[in-house]
Amino acid sequence: MSKALPPPASAITNPSQEQARTRSNWLVRKYGKRVLKQNVPLYLMFLPIMIFFLVFKYYPMTGLVIAFKKYSFLKGIWGSPSAGLHSFQMIFNNDQMIKIIWNTFKLSGLSILIGFPLPIILALLLNEVRKMIFKRFIQTFVYLPHFLNWVIVGGIVVTVFSQNETGVINHVVKWLTGSTFPFLYNETSWTSIFIASGVWKEAGWSAIIYLAALTTIDQSLYEAASIDGANKWQQTIRITIPAIMPTVIIMLILKIGHLMELGFDQVFVLQNDAVSNVAEVISTFMYKIGIQQANFSLATAMGLFESIVGLVLVLTANSIARRFGQGLW
Amino acid sequence: MNSTKGEKIFYGINYFVLLLIGLTCVLPLVHVLAMSFSDKHAIASGAVSLWPVNFDSSGYSALFDETPIFKAFRNSLIITVVGTALNVLFTVLAAYPLSKRYFIGRRFYSLAVVFTMLFTAGLIPNYLLLKSLGLLNSYGALWLPGLVSVWNLMILRSFFEGLPEELEEAARIDGSSEWRLLSQIILPLSGPVIAAISLFYGVTHWNAFMNVLIYINDTNRQNLTVLVQQLIQNQSFMQEMANTQPEMAAKLTPEGVKAAGVIVMTLPMLVLYPFLQKYFVKGAMIGAVKG
Repeated sequence: MSKALPPPASAITNPSQEQARTRSNWLVRKYGKRVLKQNVPLYLMFLPIMIFFLVFKYYPMTGLVIAFKKYSFLKGIWGSPSAGLHSFQMIFNNDQMIKIIWNTFKLSGLSILIGFPLPIILALLLNEVRKMIFKRFIQTFVYLPHFLNWVIVGGIVVTVFSQNETGVINHVVKWLTGSTFPFLYNETSWTSIFIASGVWKEAGWSAIIYLAALTTIDQSLYEAASIDGANKWQQTIRITIPAIMPTVIIMLILKIGHLMELGFDQVFVLQNDAVSNVAEVISTFMYKIGIQQANFSLATAMGLFESIVGLVLVLTANSIARRFGQGLW
Repeated sequence: MNSTKGEKIFYGINYFVLLLIGLTCVLPLVHVLAMSFSDKHAIASGAVSLWPVNFDSSGYSALFDETPIFKAFRNSLIITVVGTALNVLFTVLAAYPLSKRYFIGRRFYSLAVVFTMLFTAGLIPNYLLLKSLGLLNSYGALWLPGLVSVWNLMILRSFFEGLPEELEEAARIDGSSEWRLLSQIILPLSGPVIAAISLFYGVTHWNAFMNVLIYINDTNRQNLTVLVQQLIQNQSFMQEMANTQPEMAAKLTPEGVKAAGVIVMTLPMLVLYPFLQKYFVKGAMIGAVKG
């Protein structure tokens, strides 16, 4: 294999004009005239979409270089001087920022840990309801919070848990114990309320996906099982759970992939100064330092870190799932 | 079907648990509603539970007379209606080619689209882009960056893929162009799924918060979510009222005004929700089956 191959003669002698013609011929040969003609209107439709994705999704990715620069307004993205990994050093050498990253993982991880199984349980319970009116009634109720935005939910939380006597919870707490409790200003109770509010808002709606999966189970399996003497619990464990497992795994991958993207709205409306030690997360921090204080390089570095960890998490989760034959792609 | 005693107990407990869950989802809202219609003393002493105590709607009067809530409401409507129309138009235009097997480059474009779901540039690069396009403080900043949601695009694409091909073949033999095919055969068949994705887009726009906070600084253009959030978080509104309208302020508590704000923002959703629920559920189901 020591002798290098000579370049094919055609590559040297072909003039560019002929190259262009061969290329279009190649297109015709590969796809056929009819298909090419059919593709013209499709490309006309798709052109605005391509432009949209290039301008608003892919072009901003080039802006990530700000993370490696010392951004100045006057010089813009490309003119600003390079700063190497300075921004990342600032993040990882700073206890406060490590804390913020940790808070993001903690709140998000707890939300998944507690919030993920509940919709599955809810779907299983709803699936056992025989009275259709009752089922629809409950479904209407539990889907509702999903459509309320976080400002509304935050308003409800602040009202219900208010520390003075107007808060209905503290009204009861005072009646029981003689004094009120600062639910929203204590780190532990704030964390619990944060997680519970997420569950309250989304658990019902997330159950839809599992309900859809449950309707696809072959009913004759249950009949056969009950003839064999399997009780409800055994049927659930042996038939229902395995049947919805692919859906469960896909949902879990998606959830883990979004672990870093702890919603800005939820944290922003619920947080207060007293609990900032546990309540400051990457998204709210980026807003404060990037938009409000215009420290673009640091905020971009934080965002890049968030995006990369998110990507790695999705890919890892997917490859693990694929090992079990349940991958997303 | 005969049920054993054990099963009867199970069903009883199941119904009870579900009822509790259902009530947990609505009662907090009922409580806030009751609070918004109660008078100052009832609110302050914590006497309000699920029914207004000493009916009083001065929280709403303060809201309507002293805050730009009508303007914010109108802004929310404009953001939602125009934004949703643009979203649906471009999602259809994206989904149709991607659903066609003979669309050259289909696999590449699908991957390129899905990748944007997995990796995003993040807050600051997007902010700088909109700034350089001169879209700050305009609703373009709310409409354009989210013009096509990948999730909704996938829902619509898989729906289009599921339509019977014979229909299209027949139309094609009759000489219909792709545009006619889309507008006169595909779209009329897609009513429910288009309704579902319109609703998803609509809810997102109606609930828009972070983007408005970041991109729209002009208070005349802010929407209902941002206005109500400011009402909830700072007390300055009440202090201003105490200076300008002392006798009205005397009738108010911050909690009552907040509650009224929450209800005003929730109301359109509550009114429409029962009628639209089945479309939402249908859309979510299609998304779920596709995964």
